[in-house]
Amino acid sequence: MPSFLATLPLLSALAVTPAATGAPPSILVTRQLAETAGLNVGDVVSLSCDPSGAAARPFRIAGIYEPTPDPMRLVAKRFEARLHLPDMIGLTADPRDPLSPESVTAINVALRDPADAAAFGRELEARVPGLVAVPTARPDDGSGPFVVLERFHLAIALVTVLGSTAFLLSLMVMRAEERKETVGILRLIGVSRRHILLEVLVEGLLIATAGAIFGVLFAWVTEGAVNRFFQWRYDTSLVFVRVTAGIAGRCVALAVPLGVLAGLVASWTLLRRDVVALLRR
Amino acid sequence: MSAAPIVEARELTKVFPMPAGPVVALDGVSLRIEAEEHVAIAGPSGCGKSTLLHLLGCVETPTAGTLALDGRDVAALHDAERSRIRLTRIGFIFQRFFLLPMLTAWENVELPQSEMGTPKAQRRARTAELLAYVGLEHRAGHRPSQLSGGEMQRVAIARALANRPRLLLADEPTGELDEATGAQIADLLDRVNADGTALVVVTHNAALAARAGRRLAMRSGRLA
Amino acid sequence: MSPAGLAWRSLCGQPARAVLGVAGIAVVGALLFDMLLLSRGLVVSFRDILEGAGFDVRVTATDAPPLLGPPLRDVEKLTAAVRALHEVRDAVPLRTGRAEAIAADGSVLEVELFGSGAREGVGWTVLEGEGLNPSGDLPVVVNRRLAARLALAPGSKLRLRGTCQASSAVPPVELTVQGVVAFPFDAASGLTAMTSFAGFLQVCAGEEADLAELLLVASRREAGAEGAVAAIRRARPDLNTFSNEQLLNRLQRTDFSYFRQISFVLSSITLFFAFLLVTTLLTVSVNQRLGELAVLRALGVRRRRIAAGLLCESALLVGAGGLLALPAGALLALGLDRILRAMPDLPEKLHFFVFEPRAVLLHVALVALTGVLAALYPVYLVVRLPIAATLRREVVS
Repeated sequence: MPSFLATLPLLSALAVTPAATGAPPSILVTRQLAETAGLNVGDVVSLSCDPSGAAARPFRIAGIYEPTPDPMRLVAKRFEARLHLPDMIGLTADPRDPLSPESVTAINVALRDPADAAAFGRELEARVPGLVAVPTARPDDGSGPFVVLERFHLAIALVTVLGSTAFLLSLMVMRAEERKETVGILRLIGVSRRHILLEVLVEGLLIATAGAIFGVLFAWVTEGAVNRFFQWRYDTSLVFVRVTAGIAGRCVALAVPLGVLAGLVASWTLLRRDVVALLRR
Repeated sequence: MSAAPIVEARELTKVFPMPAGPVVALDGVSLRIEAEEHVAIAGPSGCGKSTLLHLLGCVETPTAGTLALDGRDVAALHDAERSRIRLTRIGFIFQRFFLLPMLTAWENVELPQSEMGTPKAQRRARTAELLAYVGLEHRAGHRPSQLSGGEMQRVAIARALANRPRLLLADEPTGELDEATGAQIADLLDRVNADGTALVVVTHNAALAARAGRRLAMRSGRLA
Repeated sequence: MSPAGLAWRSLCGQPARAVLGVAGIAVVGALLFDMLLLSRGLVVSFRDILEGAGFDVRVTATDAPPLLGPPLRDVEKLTAAVRALHEVRDAVPLRTGRAEAIAADGSVLEVELFGSGAREGVGWTVLEGEGLNPSGDLPVVVNRRLAARLALAPGSKLRLRGTCQASSAVPPVELTVQGVVAFPFDAASGLTAMTSFAGFLQVCAGEEADLAELLLVASRREAGAEGAVAAIRRARPDLNTFSNEQLLNRLQRTDFSYFRQISFVLSSITLFFAFLLVTTLLTVSVNQRLGELAVLRALGVRRRRIAAGLLCESALLVGAGGLLALPAGALLALGLDRILRAMPDLPEKLHFFVFEPRAVLLHVALVALTGVLAALYPVYLVVRLPIAATLRREVVS
């Protein structure tokens, strides 16, 4: 039984040939490669590392798999094949290099305690000079592509919030103006500013909460459509948008106070005026 | 000199379709108003006085009947033509003044003239003349919010006279004014009428109605 | 008073609402402008870098992205054959590897190493000294960062040890610095050195000779890039030959597609938001002024004029906001560009947001269209306004 499978990320030449004598070794190919090249399980293909197709070897497709989605390779065509390691070495080894059959690109190590990764890596490098041991979970130095994208999206979100706040304030100012006479009459009959502000606060809280929840629900509903579109566009199973409880909570936590504050600010500009000015047309 | 009446209405009817059933606001009203006449229409609330005024002013179209202004049948006219008639032949005054709050008194009076296409120099002259006529030349630059109720109504009268209409329609012109101010407005309206503009006033105010040359009573959509 | 004059007065009558409306449109418009800049920013910037490098055609072994696929073989013969083509002015092979630069104190720096065939010196800006002269004794040119880290100047010695093959330990080689240059594709924190082919093979001892990852080609002006591509494809149909434009089209479809799409999505959202904002502001404004509008109609003012007034109001709001959006967007673009350029391994000269007059024109057109569309519903309300019923309602209320 083969020990483990290796991945050949780039096939230099690929051809479908009739079955050779003796069962050729089996490989797996990605769904994308199978669809593009019209391959099926059971087909025999030739693989070569030479662009001219020299030294090609036959392999039988034993299965078609969905490659693990890799956001770093989002736009790359996932034309990949997985071979048994001896087959991979046999195909790619440099005959002039006697160490070639004993060489691999990388060894993946799973530790009993993942927290030991950095220390384990350092010790390994110290014991085997020339070896590079890198923990897969790297410390965040703020320059990773997705960290940068997150900052970018956050900046866009902040600008959107700013625009929305201006919009919200203008609507609240208009609403307050509509109620100018009502507020004037209330003040005239003796209702205090504090009482009116409290009423505005409760009203604002209800509207802002309802609006925020509606917004989150709308985002949750459109999440599926956005993911489906980009999964189709990039032929991947990556999830692009996910409305998590944390995100929903942050949105509500920002929207509700903004809504309430906008209502209070708009109403206060009204309540500052004297009663006569409020009642005057 | 034209012998045709300013307004000739025959069997004017106005029915408003409502969810609960049609409402007959005017039921076969016939009316004739001569040039320079002063007519007052009185009646209880909901009797159709304002509806009649709106029909005479070409703001509404009748459901049935005919209406002629200066001998011209206006009942079936297109909206643009009715707008033109309102601009050139009819002036309107309302209970709530309805001045444009962002314009000064001068600009409110000038507005119908600019809509008419009157040249600027003529507009200026006419506006100054009208504001002087209503006694507000010193308040020309003030906005409605800076004027009293009586002053606002006087500006409204000046605006209504801007394009020299032959007919002035007033819907409760003193409704929002105290007695003394109302009397001043009534005096002004008398003067307008005396200067040659026919006047139709809808009012609850008995004193105002008493000033009219002819008084009509309305009840349940009909002239009594 | 003209419709524009009335519209201006109407807005001035409610200054808080007008200012907030303009501010909202300015912010949203700034985002729209930035997304328009982003939609083509990478392509424009990358094109500038490619053209600045001095070569308009590239040849690789396969259609894998440049420097990532299998190497070209028999490069010397290939280069000579391409140079001999009538359409070609110059052809320079390029191979890539990695090396360690050894400082005086024994510490090492990871360096990106290039081996270049003879060239006329195009493709970089010489900051000190001169460009790469292959006839010199193991020449090397370095970028400014490497020069600063190791205190290098023209004439200094640089010790490099190749790390091109992981399984080999090669002795360091001493090269002579001929110049300090700015490479077009230098990353912000990258340390780069370029030597001759001979120098590369010495530093990366054991590497197969006569290979190159890329052949850089400059076309003759009369033939142009397309002519040179066609000629090379005829001569060597087994290779992958493409012009700068073709490379850009491919990048636009692949690597840059995320930013293109996000710019499209955000542009659409901002336009919709602006449309919603202006429609709401105008509709509420109309609803608050129904009595006034009914009176204007009662006075004889035509629907057309009132509709024109509303369109002017929309134009003033959107126009003022849209104009303010341009400088605001320019500032925002600087900030967003700075955020995105923090991505690792990007060429230092690459920008995501690049100003193009086309973007301003498109911004103005989209904002104007939004203003017109946003006014449609309020205009519809005004045109359909029942004068008498409105007057009656105003009196009662």
